[in-house]
Order: sequence, then C-alpha cells, then structure tokens
Amino acid sequence: MERLYFEDFPPGKAFAYGDREVTAEEIVAFAREFDPQPFHLSEDQARETMAGGLIASGWHSAAIMMRINCDELFLRSASQGSPGIESIDWLKPVRPGDRLSVRFTVIGARPSRSRPDLGVVEGRFELLNQAGEALMRQQASLFLSRRPGEAAR
Amino acid sequence: MIGLWYEDHEIGQSAALGAHTFARDEIVAFARKFDPQPFHLDEAAAAESIFGGLVASGWHTVSVSMRLLVDGRREQREAVAAKGRGVRDLRWTAPVRVGDTIAFSLRVESMRELQRPGWGLIGMRVVGVNQDGREVCAYTLFALAARRPG
Repeated sequence: MERLYFEDFPPGKAFAYGDREVTAEEIVAFAREFDPQPFHLSEDQARETMAGGLIASGWHSAAIMMRINCDELFLRSASQGSPGIESIDWLKPVRPGDRLSVRFTVIGARPSRSRPDLGVVEGRFELLNQAGEALMRQQASLFLSRRPGEAAR
Repeated sequence: MIGLWYEDHEIGQSAALGAHTFARDEIVAFARKFDPQPFHLDEAAAAESIFGGLVASGWHTVSVSMRLLVDGRREQREAVAAKGRGVRDLRWTAPVRVGDTIAFSLRVESMRELQRPGWGLIGMRVVGVNQDGREVCAYTLFALAARRPG
C-alpha cells in the first residue's frame, strides 16, 4: 500500500475506515485497570446508575479510536506523533455490541515553520456507531513527514 | 482530596492525585492493545524514532491519571465528579520513558450550574510531572458533579 505523507492530507479531504465490535469483557477489563467506576464495571452495577447500563470509559473510547486510526491510517502514513488534542467531546456512550468506525476530516494543513521536513495537519476525528451516530468527536493536530523532495520546493 | 458534591468544589482548589511508575511491560502491553506505533513497542525501532527510545502512549499516560483520579473518589460511587463530558487543551509536552514516575495533580478552574436539575459542571486542569519536575502532560477535564441533596 502506498505510504501517505503530509501532502496527501489537503484541507477538506475526508477518510472513513474501521469496523470494530466492542465487547462487554473489554469494557470491564479497561475499567478495572484505568477507570473503576460502577457504570464501567458490571452490567448489574451500571443499571442502577444514570448510564442505565454498562458503558465504556470515555478514555477507553479514545484508546479504541487510536487503535482504529493506527490500523487503518497512521501505520501506513509518515506519522510523527501528535503535540496534543484541542478537544474531546463524549457525545454518547459506547456500549457493548457497538460496531465502531472512524470518520476523519482534514480541517487545515501547513508546513512546520521550525522543521522543514514536517507538516502539521489539523483534523476532526469522529467515532461512529453502526447507525452512523457520532459517539465521540476529537479535534487534533498531527505531525507528518513531507513527501521526500517536496520540502525543498 | 476534594469532597463529593458540586458544592464541595471551589475555583482554585487543588489536590495531589498520587504518582505512578511506568514499567516497560505495561507500556508495551497498552501499546499492543491500543497504540501499536513502533516507538511504543520496541526499543530498537524506538531508538530510530524522533523519541530516541521507548516511550509510553500518550493515551496510556492520561488513562493512568484517570485511575488515580477515580481512586481518590472511590467510595463516592454515583456522585463521582468524573462523569466526563469532554476535554480541552490536552498537551503531551515531554515523553514518558521506561521507569519514569509521574505525579498527577488537579486544580479546579471553572464551575457552572446546569439547566439539568441536580448537576453541575466542573472544569479541572489535570497535570502530570515526572521525577525531574518536568511536565509531561496536561488537560482540562469537564465532568458532571451531583448537587448536594436538599
């Protein structure tokens, strides 16, 4: 598969990818390690809470989206990491049995001022369920290497 | 530790959340599951990356901060002020390397009563600092907290 560089992410370009089913077991396993609150730990405990049933930790949702991004996009691109995330919005909870995909839309792209071999891509990532509803939205910047030969132009 | 209810918070209030030492095996285990980029998985590949060595996934770092935040509020169950709505300005400012000990703290930055009766929204800045006093990550978490009954 062709490697993706900074130049392959012009503003307005959108990517849609991923199909990952979430299980109750992995929701509980993540919660036990990182977010042991009742609505993430067991169906029985969760039913009595505001969530009305077992839901994934918001950080688990973020980690799952990262995995989908890695598998489908980052590992075949010249990704050089991220300086940070402008915003994360947890719109609706991720529940067991949800099938998740990602929609990534490029908002802005500029060459790095300090590193001529890098570019900064600003994008919006949406985690979608099987009904196409957005469950989480992130706005983030990514460092990407410039295509060899492009930086000097 | 800061108390249970929305009313127990005030702007400017701060709390230490405790510290965590990142072992090589847990860095790699998290990365295998969620962030399989070479600089989180393998020393040799990491040595050639911009980090120059194995580093923890940024998502691992913030997940650990959540665990410490929840542990401090464990007995509070449903009223826990960590029912997250969202995050703003999440920065990973320095890498977390094998054996680093990161101490986390939080500071209440904003408070707002909601239209929805019984709940308030608290904005808190969570910061992680390594054993050399260098900040490694920071974010502002917006979370719901229950109003004190009555």
